[in-house]
Amino acid sequence: MVGLTEFDKNLRPAPVIAKSWDILDGGKRILFHLREDVTWTDGKKVTAKDFEYSWKRLLNPKTASEYAYILFDIVNAEDYNQGKITDAALVGVRAQDDFALEVHLKHPAAYFVALTTFEVTYPQRQDIIEKFGTRWTAPGHIVSNGPFILSSWKHENEIQLKANPNFFLSKPAIDRVEMFMVDEKTTALAMYEQGQLDFIDNDSIPIFEKPRMAKLPGFKAVPQLRGYYYGFVTDRKPFHDVRVRKAFSMAIDRSVFPKILHGAERPTSSWIPPGMLAHNPKIGLTYNPPEARRLLREAGYPEGKGFPQVTLAYNTLEDHKTVAEAVQGMWKRNLGVLVRLDNQEWKVYLKKLKTDPPHVYRSGWGADYPDPDNFMKLFSSLSGNNDTRWKNPQYDRLLDLASKEFDERKRKQLYDEAQRILCEIDVPIMPLFTTTEYTVLNPRFTGLEVNSMARLILRDVKPKGN
Amino acid sequence: MLRFILKRLLHGLAVLWVVATLTFVLMHVTPGGPFDRERRLPPEVLANIAAKYHLDEPLIKQYGRYLRELVQGDLGPSYKYVDRNVADIVRDTLPVSTALGLMSLAFALLISFPAALFAAYYHNSWVDRGSMFLATLGISVPHFILGALLIWIFSVQLGWFQAGRWGQVTSVVLPTITLGAAPAAYLSHLLRSTLLETLGEDFIRTARAKGLRETVVILKHALRNSLIPTLTVLGPLVAALITGSFVIEYVFAVPGMGRFFITAVTDRDYPMIMGVTLIYTALLVSANFLVDLFYSVLDPRIKAY
Repeated sequence: MVGLTEFDKNLRPAPVIAKSWDILDGGKRILFHLREDVTWTDGKKVTAKDFEYSWKRLLNPKTASEYAYILFDIVNAEDYNQGKITDAALVGVRAQDDFALEVHLKHPAAYFVALTTFEVTYPQRQDIIEKFGTRWTAPGHIVSNGPFILSSWKHENEIQLKANPNFFLSKPAIDRVEMFMVDEKTTALAMYEQGQLDFIDNDSIPIFEKPRMAKLPGFKAVPQLRGYYYGFVTDRKPFHDVRVRKAFSMAIDRSVFPKILHGAERPTSSWIPPGMLAHNPKIGLTYNPPEARRLLREAGYPEGKGFPQVTLAYNTLEDHKTVAEAVQGMWKRNLGVLVRLDNQEWKVYLKKLKTDPPHVYRSGWGADYPDPDNFMKLFSSLSGNNDTRWKNPQYDRLLDLASKEFDERKRKQLYDEAQRILCEIDVPIMPLFTTTEYTVLNPRFTGLEVNSMARLILRDVKPKGN
Repeated sequence: MLRFILKRLLHGLAVLWVVATLTFVLMHVTPGGPFDRERRLPPEVLANIAAKYHLDEPLIKQYGRYLRELVQGDLGPSYKYVDRNVADIVRDTLPVSTALGLMSLAFALLISFPAALFAAYYHNSWVDRGSMFLATLGISVPHFILGALLIWIFSVQLGWFQAGRWGQVTSVVLPTITLGAAPAAYLSHLLRSTLLETLGEDFIRTARAKGLRETVVILKHALRNSLIPTLTVLGPLVAALITGSFVIEYVFAVPGMGRFFITAVTDRDYPMIMGVTLIYTALLVSANFLVDLFYSVLDPRIKAY
């Protein structure tokens, strides 16, 4: 499937179905102009009405979509989703005609066009969904508009796609794609080595096989817009004291993580990941054990003496354990503090973060859309994902200004300032590293892309030499 | 006979109700909910989801609703797999698990019966020691180790069988052997020890003294009289084998139902947890019922009804 936009190489939204867009009324109104040659697989044209229907369906409380909030910047969208208004016509998205989609926003949102790269904003066909109900995604029912058509779907087993001969950007070079759902990495790797598969990714390569895979032709390491961090629960002693938080962050040598994990993690002390607008590697507290000890001493714990028993928690997974043990060792060595490690099953862990949080917790964040707003809002005062319980009105204000700023240079300055508060001044979190996706493609093929949000792009796959 | 069947049917229904109630209570008191995510959902979005699945109702009302729908044969929607019902998922996956389970059972029986007979007959010989060594190995080696080993030898090194891609002849062999190995080993052990006991009985000596052929003594008298313990374990074993194994399905990418015994719990997919638990219970109750019927066929002194 394709939507209004997709990312270009610089992770900026580039035209696909939308050939252009106008930002009007100081950013509060966006008018998307659609191509007129895009068709569904049943031959009908893709129109602005299909987008209007899809977005309103996403917001309809009866759909109960987990991603409804993505469109809450649209006028009346949140009220409609909450059931405060029931008339969908009041929601600020409207097909002006077949090929013009008008969006009214509650406030200017510089990131809004980037949202249209996200799959949940792709168009849908009202007639098909109403005809087939919950079965509308089944092969034979579904109509789509991308380079491939769903031809077979055996749940928990395999999916088959065939090339869409009417795809508006030209028919793909390969006729058929088969995808197999294989949970066990060693099995998937065995299938690749037996020649049953032509492509595998992180989910199919066991950690211990990574060095061997890295030597194969067709191997790629794709940096991801996914950050891994530890959060301090800032209303729990002793982490209510910013000096303690800074000391703990400065006692971590982040360069060890690629060595103890998969080899291509990118250590970071700032939060906005590389590749995203406003990424700034100069921000953040770097490894400095003497300064960390000084800060801890100043906070009343010279060489860690008198430091209370604190807990570092993570959800049960081998990688998380490896990181936690390394961090535990560094804090003991550099600060004289021995933290207790605690791990829990995922859902229990999530519950505990809300009800009885540990002093320090592990978490991560992957981008929904490639805009810093998606990363930075995580720690705003109202964010449901901010388990640090830290609030800073200045930080919130900077994010608000940045989200409404259309000048990239000025946006970057605002995010720099906000990141300094987050990673240097208040330090409710300590970013540790960003992740990498590994892929291996059979050298007989070329053109398969995995983007920085781990999405597979099959459109340009072709046999080598063609 | 009819009274016995009716009595067992009522008993089975009572067991199902108790299991349903206990599972319902336990899964709701377990911390963490089906829609807890790393990416927390806004309260208004969560409220819509809760309303869609009636999770906003008091627990007792949810329980009543579940039982009512269950009686009508509706197992509810899966919370994890959007737009799919538990019944759809079971319909897709249970036949796969059943096919694999029956093949593994056949494998286990084909291996265990001859192994036990030879081991018991040639007691303390190398045949006995060798087969019991293999049986001990079969019981102690975990599924995932055996599966990985078989993949490495027969798939990666020799290229005889496929590691995944369920549905082709070459992809069925390795999971069947892996799933059937432990039951084969366990049944061999069990049958051998019962056979040894039976072979020392007076009626075997009498049969031999009467000049009966050794094969008749062993197969007709000794084996038949040693089957009761094996039959007792076969009931639960069949139920376990045909509802699938998480490890086997995970290792060999088999699209069966076994995986949901684990993933439904980790996902807190309540209707799915209830669905697979009740199906397993129903199969277990049915298998035990059949075993009870067979007791009286094997040994007329035992009256099932």
